[in-house]
Amino acid sequence: MMSLPFLLFACGLAAAWTSRREAAMGFWVAGVLVLLVLFRFHATDVLNLGL
Amino acid sequence: MTSDLSRLLNALGLVAVDTVLVLAFADQLWFRDLPCPICILQRAGFIAAGFGLALNLMFGPRPSHYSLAILGAMVGSIVSADQVLHYIVPGSGAYGDAIFGLHLYTWSLIMFVAVVLGSAVMLLFDRQFDTAGPLPWRLKVLPMSAVALLALLTLGNIASALAICGAGLCPEAPSGYLIFHENLGLALAKTP
Repeated sequence: MMSLPFLLFACGLAAAWTSRREAAMGFWVAGVLVLLVLFRFHATDVLNLGL
Repeated sequence: MTSDLSRLLNALGLVAVDTVLVLAFADQLWFRDLPCPICILQRAGFIAAGFGLALNLMFGPRPSHYSLAILGAMVGSIVSADQVLHYIVPGSGAYGDAIFGLHLYTWSLIMFVAVVLGSAVMLLFDRQFDTAGPLPWRLKVLPMSAVALLALLTLGNIASALAICGAGLCPEAPSGYLIFHENLGLALAKTP
């Protein structure tokens, strides 16, 4: 699961290398969305800031 | 600023991003300092930011590519700022060892802000977006090497994340390479 954003970015770089710019940007968007979802799952602790 | 100069500066920026990822791997493999799940996501943030710079090198500079670099760096900075805030209160501990007085997540936040600032400054120069011809071969070596290294580091991070976390979500403080513990019964990382 944690390797998924890297996999999507790698697919994006492969698409860019083969001159498919739109596909590369699509893989980038998917990778960032997965990154944010994974962050949501892992950032579960309450910040100890005492505001 | 000409398109060629812009590509050179983008190449240098991408080399800086690559260097961060190489140092992270060096810390993991040489000093056996396993990355936490949030640290792995910060690496993904660097690749997301570097992706925009790589597109500038492969397709020529465009505002949309700088946008990807800025958005990627902003996502990465949210992740690293969360970790900085976890340990910002005195006495609340830290994760990993400090390098030059700052922990890796603090350096990450500084680097992400630098990418945002650098990309914003580059966007000020409109002439770089004029249609440019293909780069001469002598000017291609550094940009293409930087892109190839980014691709290699991305593949390395796929293997690393799989080894540390297995197929699911990561443990909060990994103590070894989960995939070896679970599948092969080997313990390669330091024991607690």
